[in-house]
Amino acid sequence: MLFMRLELKGITKRFGSFTANDAIDLVVEPGEIHCLLGENGAGKSTLMNVLFGLYSADAGEILINGESVHFATSGDAVRKGIGMVHQHFMLVPVFTVAENVVLGFEPTKSFNRVDYAAASDKIRKFSEEFGLEVDPDAIIEELPVGIQQRVEILKALSQEAELLILDEPTAVLTPQEIESLIKIMKDLAASGKSILFISHKLKEVKAVADKITVIRLGKVVGTGLPTDSEEELASKMVGRSVNLQVEKSPHNPGTPMLEVKNLVVRDERGVAVVNNISFSVCQGEILAVAGVQGNGQSELVEAIAGMRPVESGTITINGTRVDNASPRECLDAGLAHIPEDRQRDGLVLKLSVADNLVLNTPRAPQFAGRGTRKLSKVRENAEKLVQDFDIRTESVDAPVGSLSGGNQQKVIVARELSRNVDVLIAAQPTRGLDVGSIEYVHKQFIRERDSNKAVLLVSSELDEVFSLADRIAVMFQGGITGVVSPDSTREAIGLLMAGITEHTNV
Amino acid sequence: MSENKTSLWQRYLSANPVTMSFLAIFLGFVVGAAVIIFSSSDVLHAWTQIFNSPGAILHAIKVTLDNVGAAYRAMFTGSVFDPTILWHALTTGQDWTAALTPISETLTYAAPLVIISIGVAISFETGLFNIGANGQAILGGIAGTAFGSMIHLPMFIHLPLTLACGVAAGAFYGFIPGVLKALTGAHEVIVTLMLNYVVAFFLLYSLLSTPLQLPGQVNDLSRVILPSAQLPNFFATATTLRVSWGILIAIGVVAFGWWFLNRSTLGFDFRITGANPNAARASGINPKKIIMYVFLISGGLAGLAGVVQVDGTTHSLDGGFLIGSAGIGFTAITVSLLGRNKPINVFWGAILFSALGVGGRIMQAETGIPLDLATIIQSAVVLFVATPVMVQEIFRLREGTLHTVELNTKGWSS
Amino acid sequence: MELVSTLVTPDVVIRRDTPAGRTRVIGAIMSLMALFIFWVFALGATSKASSIITFNPLNTSGGAPWHLASLTLPSRVSALVLAIIALAAGIETIVRVPASRVMARFGFVSILFLLGLFVWTVRSSGPSPTNFIDITDVLVNASGITMVLIFGSMSGIMCERAGVVNIAIEGQFLGGAFIGAIVASSTNSFVLATFAGAAVGALLGWVLAFFAVRYRSDQVIVGVVLVTMIASLTNFLNLTFLTPFQQYNTGVTPSSIPIPLLDKIPIIGPLLFNQDMFFYMMYVLVAGMSFALFKTKWGLRVRAVGEHPQAAATVGIRVKGVRYFNVILGGAIGGIGGVAFIALHGQFNPGFTSGLGYIALAAVIFGRWRPSGAVVASIIFGLTSMLASGLQSFDVPVSSEILGMFPYIITIAVVSGLIGRVRAPAADGIPYKQD
Repeated sequence: MLFMRLELKGITKRFGSFTANDAIDLVVEPGEIHCLLGENGAGKSTLMNVLFGLYSADAGEILINGESVHFATSGDAVRKGIGMVHQHFMLVPVFTVAENVVLGFEPTKSFNRVDYAAASDKIRKFSEEFGLEVDPDAIIEELPVGIQQRVEILKALSQEAELLILDEPTAVLTPQEIESLIKIMKDLAASGKSILFISHKLKEVKAVADKITVIRLGKVVGTGLPTDSEEELASKMVGRSVNLQVEKSPHNPGTPMLEVKNLVVRDERGVAVVNNISFSVCQGEILAVAGVQGNGQSELVEAIAGMRPVESGTITINGTRVDNASPRECLDAGLAHIPEDRQRDGLVLKLSVADNLVLNTPRAPQFAGRGTRKLSKVRENAEKLVQDFDIRTESVDAPVGSLSGGNQQKVIVARELSRNVDVLIAAQPTRGLDVGSIEYVHKQFIRERDSNKAVLLVSSELDEVFSLADRIAVMFQGGITGVVSPDSTREAIGLLMAGITEHTNV
Repeated sequence: MSENKTSLWQRYLSANPVTMSFLAIFLGFVVGAAVIIFSSSDVLHAWTQIFNSPGAILHAIKVTLDNVGAAYRAMFTGSVFDPTILWHALTTGQDWTAALTPISETLTYAAPLVIISIGVAISFETGLFNIGANGQAILGGIAGTAFGSMIHLPMFIHLPLTLACGVAAGAFYGFIPGVLKALTGAHEVIVTLMLNYVVAFFLLYSLLSTPLQLPGQVNDLSRVILPSAQLPNFFATATTLRVSWGILIAIGVVAFGWWFLNRSTLGFDFRITGANPNAARASGINPKKIIMYVFLISGGLAGLAGVVQVDGTTHSLDGGFLIGSAGIGFTAITVSLLGRNKPINVFWGAILFSALGVGGRIMQAETGIPLDLATIIQSAVVLFVATPVMVQEIFRLREGTLHTVELNTKGWSS
Repeated sequence: MELVSTLVTPDVVIRRDTPAGRTRVIGAIMSLMALFIFWVFALGATSKASSIITFNPLNTSGGAPWHLASLTLPSRVSALVLAIIALAAGIETIVRVPASRVMARFGFVSILFLLGLFVWTVRSSGPSPTNFIDITDVLVNASGITMVLIFGSMSGIMCERAGVVNIAIEGQFLGGAFIGAIVASSTNSFVLATFAGAAVGALLGWVLAFFAVRYRSDQVIVGVVLVTMIASLTNFLNLTFLTPFQQYNTGVTPSSIPIPLLDKIPIIGPLLFNQDMFFYMMYVLVAGMSFALFKTKWGLRVRAVGEHPQAAATVGIRVKGVRYFNVILGGAIGGIGGVAFIALHGQFNPGFTSGLGYIALAAVIFGRWRPSGAVVASIIFGLTSMLASGLQSFDVPVSSEILGMFPYIITIAVVSGLIGRVRAPAADGIPYKQD
């Protein structure tokens, strides 16, 4: 077997005036699991795309076993033995596993026909060799995310990859799936494959890495070992000492404002992804819904916001029934909603910051009268909110798409909080944000709670859940496996997230 | 001072939307010239002779310029202003208003085109593709003609009701694709295209059967709209100037379109839905309602355009009503693209394309070059407008505030 | 693009091709058609009326080698029987809600409807009929339009499977027909005309790809504008070139090529095995495309590009190259469709395809982007078009203008009512951006 030693020398990539990667050096030895640690926006993904031939570097070179290589397309990278497991899987959803695995490297028989029998055999062979069990004839979109990821790995291996890049692979996995992924990675490394593992999660990195390279703002800022402390790695990653603990006053709940009873919600395929859930959120408290992504949290939020039909059960906002109500009725009942996918559901990127700040209140009497908008009032409102919420933008007339991710999120937070309603529901509100913006958003949530609002926070980041929540509800496979206090241990919540409920005390 | 000048000049030369539109129009005329050259046997013959004598190449260039020049000169004098007529009027003391005929004709054709284009622009701005404006306009014209020719009423109610009939018919016909898309997801492009063919048959049917056909007529001609329902001529005394009050209605529609898209709350909903339907839904907008409203408004304006055309200009229908070589609805698509869905720009775009059409007719009469050249130029202009990057490359422009034409159109399954 | 998060649950999800509600609606439509047969076709004929249906080809030179006796049917009773069968099928669909083959049932009832229509149109008031309808002739008449539609829909599938919406089929028809008329008239060779049409179609395909792939312009705009441009350009050239030089538009048509023995089969023979070269070309095209798209390496890559171009790019497939190639090839097929249309009509007339290209596009959607499905859809549209023009010669109390609307209304009904939300190739119509 051909082992691979990969070396990056002085890789630089610019987008216009912005330097995403600045003279990055990196060495991955054969059989090594090398972690690339960095915040969102630090330039990790750009670097991987350069390495995989999707971007071409402006400067620097890539060496494989000491030999300089150049990748014009990702096909070149694959042929040189580099395989990538993308954060958003590069699998065709309507194709079978076999079709996806052989795509681009198809075995053929007469008349250029794809030899699916040979393809299936190959998949079975690799499945056995690396312990990655998967049915070659299954359709990708019908497989769970963990298995889809397995197919991505299998695809890379079947293309004879010697170096495997895994880009944020754990975000979508359950704890068990993460465990099995870590085992797979270790097995692969033991068989001589090199692995480049990209993450911003310290715990995983420590669990799996042989060596760690930390990058910040496009530059390598240091290296580390898995034995280094979390604090040490975190301060390297962020560039200052980090304290994600937010100060807050004691928990003092008032009357329930958001009540959910026996809620059942189905997804597009008819599966009950929210299965008989009940909980309530009171004034002056933050209830966090923890759980691995894909256990029904998104659908729960959509149902509360009126964007998904409710099969049975009730949702009450401040005394108004809103199950199967329209989004408009939910907003009017007193709901502020920070959606999970801000660019999809929360903003209109083409419209100005000012327009986005009144996106769901354009008809409020202060902003419009007799069918005509009062644009000067809309602007005034925007000027004020931009000031109050520290939104960094050239002008309130700039399209919101020109803002950074953190400032886009601030626009949504400003809009929703300025509506001054009783219930705030926020789904993954800090995903993809830099640490500064995360801290800012957290402070706003605490302020809302302290001004006696009811806050429902849905997050798959346990750190966020622990630092904000007054109570933690854990979701697993559409149900709530337990409601615990934030003083509980990580281990206890981890068990609940995996659906193990025997030892819980609610 | 000189620095300021340079920067201003550079700004003109950068790829800003205005410059891009003018360059696209220019390139459109270049394409038209190419079509003239390659289809004129005189020109082609002259070029085959260039090796026969030393002066032949100059002769060939002259023939080319003569042919292209004659065509474009006829287009201009036929649609904007003809100096010879004015000169003739001044020297002979005859009625000088004849010199206004070309511009009057252009405005006559522009009135319905402006109205229908505003409707199409509103649909585009909402991410919906109303290709059925032509059919909606025809149905509006039929309804208006029926009401205007067969009902007897005093003018002050007859005229407005006639116009209202056109609006209602167009809105109804627009509502069909709207409701089908909202409820069943049928793609509006196919439905509206099919409806255009359906209404073409309906037009023939109504012109050939009893109530609407001109009594005693066997051809496809309708009854004539009664004077009490006609849109009066703008210049009541000058009979050669056909421009009617329709142009004022058109200006009113532009004002409405500007208010609607830039100031109204419903227009804001439309723009949100067009730019991001998911965010629209999350913000409490019901996309299905919006789809139906868009088609009602867009169809209503198309119907108004149809009735303005028949009520202000032709006063009766025939089998070729609004169909022409490409159909007013298709011209409207090109006009709203040229104007980037901004009502005021759409207005100027409509004037330009009407001038092309009117001038094209004169060109056909004077030079024998078919009127279809005007449509070819229009389509070419739109291709260039839709592809600003290419225009930028052709003229080596610096990057500017480039606004690509985005219609927010989605794939089939949306 | 967020991937759909999936849950492992023991719930068994039944995947239906057609949702239950829509199945019932289709069943209801079938029952309505049955009632229509009863009401109009059965009650619309007097009890003594009878209808003759024959099966012999009318235009076979030298006489048919076979002869099927014509059927003389009592009009009312026949229509009644058809109505009862159709109603049974409709009710069965509503009550049992079958999970598959719903459209097959619908097709069956449509055929019954058609038969009822025939029986009704040729009814004669007395027991000794004077009028008759020839089934073979009807089908042969419909086959021409169907063939052109199939060419058009193959062009559409070729482009859309690679992720480019081809709304310009109509323009490819017109362009191919124009050049086809000239070449066929001047050389009297439809083989040369086919090559010329393919070349012009390919050129138009290249223009579409140039704007849609290279410059990522909106594909619907480019398509619509291309159609307008080609329509006016062919009008223009028709006036400047074909009108003065009529020897280039003489209206030649290709001769039929009978396949020995097979053409002797009653009904099927004249319909499928005694047609011009374009018909046989179409067989090869449909079979070839079905095979190439779903069995070969090339097809797998094309479909990957149409579904998930980024994924295709990561395994080294040149997305833009594939799209260019397919759109040009699709254009060539559309151009050949235009020549086939000329072969049917003889002379070129401006705008004479009258929206056939758009109906072909509807056939692509109705056929769910599969060659076989598009063929079925084209047959339906072809039959409807034939009915619109064919029924005018009979004693039908509906004006020809109203009949002319039929194909278009059926297309709308099909696009909105029967198929509902379809699943296009996921990246269809979305420009691909590298980096």
